[in-house]
Amino acid sequence: MNQRPRRNGRLRLSTSPKAGRFGDGLRRAARLLLAALREIFDESAYARFLERNRVVSSPSTYAAFLREHEVAKARRPRCC
Amino acid sequence: MPKSLRFLIWFAVAVLGALAVATIALHRGEEINALWLVVAAVCSYALGYRFYSKFVAAKVLALDPQRATPAERLDNGRDFVPTNKWVVFGHHFAAIAGPGPLVGPVLAAQFGYLPGTLWILAGAVFGGCVQDFVILLFSVRRDGKSLTEMAREEIGRVGGFVAYVAVISIIVILLGVAALIVVNALKSSPWGAFTIAMTIPIALLMGLYLRRLRPGKVLEASIVGFVLVMLAIWGGQWASQTPSIAAMFTLTASTLAILIIIYGFLASALPIWLLLAPRDYLSTFVKLGTIALLAVGIVVRHPTLHMPPLTRFIDGSGPVFAGTIFPFAFITIACGAISGFHALISSGTTPKLIRREPEARMVGYGAMMAESMVAIMATIAACVLQPGTYFAINSPAGIVGQAPETAATTISGWGFPITAAEMHTLAQAVGEQTLYNRTGGAPAFAVGMAHIFSSSLGGQAVMALWYHFAIMFEALFILTILDAGTRVGRFMLQDALGHVWRPLGRTSWYPSILSTSALIVGAWGFFLWQGVRDPLGGINSLWPLFGISNQLLATVALCVATTIIIKMHKARYAAVTLAPLAWLVVVTFTASWHKIFDDNPRIGFLAHARQLAALPTPVPDMARLVFNDRLDALVTGVLICMVGLILLESARAWMGVLSGRKQASVREAPFVASRFATEEQG
Repeated sequence: MNQRPRRNGRLRLSTSPKAGRFGDGLRRAARLLLAALREIFDESAYARFLERNRVVSSPSTYAAFLREHEVAKARRPRCC
Repeated sequence: MPKSLRFLIWFAVAVLGALAVATIALHRGEEINALWLVVAAVCSYALGYRFYSKFVAAKVLALDPQRATPAERLDNGRDFVPTNKWVVFGHHFAAIAGPGPLVGPVLAAQFGYLPGTLWILAGAVFGGCVQDFVILLFSVRRDGKSLTEMAREEIGRVGGFVAYVAVISIIVILLGVAALIVVNALKSSPWGAFTIAMTIPIALLMGLYLRRLRPGKVLEASIVGFVLVMLAIWGGQWASQTPSIAAMFTLTASTLAILIIIYGFLASALPIWLLLAPRDYLSTFVKLGTIALLAVGIVVRHPTLHMPPLTRFIDGSGPVFAGTIFPFAFITIACGAISGFHALISSGTTPKLIRREPEARMVGYGAMMAESMVAIMATIAACVLQPGTYFAINSPAGIVGQAPETAATTISGWGFPITAAEMHTLAQAVGEQTLYNRTGGAPAFAVGMAHIFSSSLGGQAVMALWYHFAIMFEALFILTILDAGTRVGRFMLQDALGHVWRPLGRTSWYPSILSTSALIVGAWGFFLWQGVRDPLGGINSLWPLFGISNQLLATVALCVATTIIIKMHKARYAAVTLAPLAWLVVVTFTASWHKIFDDNPRIGFLAHARQLAALPTPVPDMARLVFNDRLDALVTGVLICMVGLILLESARAWMGVLSGRKQASVREAPFVASRFATEEQG
């Protein structure tokens, strides 16, 4: 097995350098896509809200998050 | 990669792009494949991004990787959050992609596929992408300030006031036109009306699901909502075939207009979590998926374009909307090439998420390229239709007549053969009673999209499902714009009225909510009603009005950008924004002049009013029609005067700086070194 350093210094394991690069690339693309979707759908904002306020997800905390985000969301234009 | 290989690759891209553009521009008398448009677009965007945006980034804006962005400096985990550039790209694209780049190119296809395609490519690379990019960067350097704030600070009070009025006007006109598109798509269509009606309880259900059952699981709720919407489309077929239910959902344009106005008011006044937020999530989910699906469908099917490159209607006699190719093709395409509305997004949420300055290039310039690609796909969807079909769907009854045979004869007489039997078969294939006089662009786009999808997946048997999927997709995200736009307009109005009487500015005070909601809904409802009652279908007068106001907002944005560039002592590069600004000024001022003063009653508002007033036997609602024409002329005139004012104010600022009479001071936030740059170097 190859061990090749990544740009951020951590190691990754793969059976062949090319397959490893391709697999990593796909995984990275999938992670990015999911992250983009989570940002678009405000899931990341909710996660940040939970972290900032050190609370766990529940109907009441989600209601508090919605209250906090209500004005910002309502003022966000959607384009033509 | 060796430099010589890079050069060879970019040279090959340039040659391929030139070949594709030459093919679409020079072919006459024979049909071409849609892939040529895709290749021309991809090569133009690649070259534009690699060379032009790099030039703008390096020479004009001097993007600084060492400079901390507001997302880093003001990081509060709420509004300001340093975010991965691809995530910001997706977020920005989801916000700027709307019905404009789908509808505008479909309407402009009446000139043929060539004018629209060329303008979408050139307008985006040299205008729209540049505008979005520079406004985004300037907002990043000003702690995420909005366009109106930047206009006030950099140009003056007049600039801020004009930008404010332009934004409110464009919102009102946009909402009126968008609602009209939905009305025209759903009138006499029990299947479509049933499906869209079902999206309201689905959105409410999603709201409750998110609030009570699975807090914060928006993606999950959107998938559930999407499955329910698919069931609603399938159920729509059953509804349209069950006489008692079909009768309930077979609605006239007037009834639909009233229902949409009531809906708009309720959506604006209801709590945001109940209807607006879930519908927004659902529509974004469907929008991103459908755009990706359409791109795959076009590449896989690479259909043939049946529309000629240029039609006889470049002379201004078009049935879809009246007016010559210049300036009306540019006004009609609007958002697919350059959209002033994007400047609001570029100076809204996005600048607060940009992690490092150089990423503004990919987000601002890149996302607009993607939006422009959507416009190219819409052009393809319209032009794969037989021209006779396209004109039968998009021509108002006032031009081609009510009876199918009369319409078919008129359209065939223009050189685009079509028979009443063919139109009847097509209407049956898509599950509609008729496809005549379905102005607004949405139904033609839906038929084109259904044609592409059904030939890839499912064949003719599922054409009706694809058609209603496309109608649902357009109507869903237009209704989202109605929700969100009414609310944004309401907040803007409350902000302004709060200066007159403080309680009116309180966004949680119900009398203020109700009165400002009523004002905004009443304003766009007026334009909607006017369009519904217009014998020429409404789109003829209202879409150009929307196009003009949108392009005028882009003029304001480019004035702000040019002023800042000159104040940055980069006047030698001011042409980057000054050239598209000059072009927009010429186009919008010419279009406005025609819309107000043209002697042709199909173009000029005042000529149309005069024609109505001179009729020997008055038509029903004549006084109202005359009033509407005069009001449209007045709105256009006021908008153009205000933009003229901001142009003069900007020119005064430019001359002051260039002559040395005025000190050039930009209002940027002070430089702070970015730790992200240090981390990367380390």
